[in-house]
Amino acid sequence: MKMGALDSILRARNPDLVCVTSLCNVWTAHDLCCKAEELRNSCSVVKGKRIALYCLSSLELITALIAFDGYASAMLLLPMQEDSNTGANLMAVADCDYALHSNAVLKSLSGNQLPSKADEPSQWLLATSGTTGTPKLITHNLASLTRTLKRNTERGSEFVWGLMYEPARFAGLQVVLQALVGGSVLNISSKYEFDEQIKAVLGGGVNALSATPSLWRKILMDGRIKDLKFRQITLGGEIVDQKLINALRSTYPSARITHIYASTEAGAGFSVQDGLAGFPSEWIGTLDAPVQLQIDSNNHLLIKPSIMPRGDEIHCRLSAEGYLDTQDIVTVSKGRVTFLGRASGVINVGGNKVSPEEIEVVIREVKGVTDAGVFGKSSGILGQIVCAELVIDKSENADSILQAVRSHCLSELVPWKRPAIFRIVEALEETSAGKRRRIG
Amino acid sequence: MKNKILSAMSVVATNTSSNLIQNINDNTILLESGLDSLGFAILVAQLEEDLGYDPFSMMAEPVYPRTFGELVEIYERFSA
Repeated sequence: MKMGALDSILRARNPDLVCVTSLCNVWTAHDLCCKAEELRNSCSVVKGKRIALYCLSSLELITALIAFDGYASAMLLLPMQEDSNTGANLMAVADCDYALHSNAVLKSLSGNQLPSKADEPSQWLLATSGTTGTPKLITHNLASLTRTLKRNTERGSEFVWGLMYEPARFAGLQVVLQALVGGSVLNISSKYEFDEQIKAVLGGGVNALSATPSLWRKILMDGRIKDLKFRQITLGGEIVDQKLINALRSTYPSARITHIYASTEAGAGFSVQDGLAGFPSEWIGTLDAPVQLQIDSNNHLLIKPSIMPRGDEIHCRLSAEGYLDTQDIVTVSKGRVTFLGRASGVINVGGNKVSPEEIEVVIREVKGVTDAGVFGKSSGILGQIVCAELVIDKSENADSILQAVRSHCLSELVPWKRPAIFRIVEALEETSAGKRRRIG
Repeated sequence: MKNKILSAMSVVATNTSSNLIQNINDNTILLESGLDSLGFAILVAQLEEDLGYDPFSMMAEPVYPRTFGELVEIYERFSA
């Protein structure tokens, strides 16, 4: 087994370098290494075994990752918001021998005592954030997770990253690793709650923030951090529409705005920074692209990262040429590939496929609509019909906005794509991964 | 019930830019009323918003009403 990759990265740093901060604490590279060593010593039975990191706080999780990367043969990262049944299932599927709970409590599990492979890096097992069904495990390692991260620590030292995601999920882990590997400060909040996160961002000198488009819209509506001088704004995990990019551009004129295409399954894919939604169509089918990409006959985006995560879940989705079907539906227009949505999230109105994201973009074009969530509602008549929830600017008249939305949909959308039912809501519901809930 | 359904039909027709025929009565063929099948699906969803139930999802065996009178009868049957 390759020893302590993450640990060695931190040991190579200036010991006094500040790595993690919260509203009341600061941890240097030295502090983190010491905490990790202490944890490793108290959990020495984990060596070469498979460990579940069970619902740990941000700092506990970071400490455990440093302690066990290169020490345990596999680490299963269980998000805080996973229910206990799902957690137990995932630990069983992952054949975990131990589970590390909060406050360094190590519990023994009835794993299958899988033999470890001495020269292989530790596996990082991540659960997908599907909105329905059982989460699935994807096998990564530090190399596959950090392939696209910036490693210039001199430049990295200029950034203080806020953490809006759960660090045990793919997107949050990317932020954590970007900060640790790239030499930036990571600012953490005491709880994974929007209000606490905003307070931490405000108090922590954060100048780089990564969040889903849904969360960015919520941040813009919230307004408390509109005066921060962000240098880096990162969006990922959902389709990024032009209206949101424009709104972020006008609120944070000095920020570099990056949208990332990545998924738990494919790992980090590529990022786009030209201020336009989607990505250049010339990236399709060329070796010059940041990652090899194809579009199949069903308009699914296929991706071939240089380091492909492993496991049965990935294997069954690979094409003969080794491309992974991302299940993302794309369309090519005017030199741009844009995302229409997930193959599985598509609403089926009497045999016509409707991408909720496409409708949301149209609705959000109406002045006074601050956000929109579209979902399919089962219909005994047509399979599904399109429903929309609207969050509207409270200073405007709800009836006239609703009328404007209806007219806009009438003129912009074919009949079956037009939402049949509109509801005005206070806020849109999101999954624990910060993505739009699409269950009708 | 009849009036509630007529009023919902009128709302759906407005929202979908459809024209309802005049003098809808029990014998009016639903798909000749001015609403197409999409309009009808929307009508059912609209009535669920208004009345709080969707008889078509409550039925053990699907029944597709042909006339306005049959539609009203289905809604009355499941209203209890």
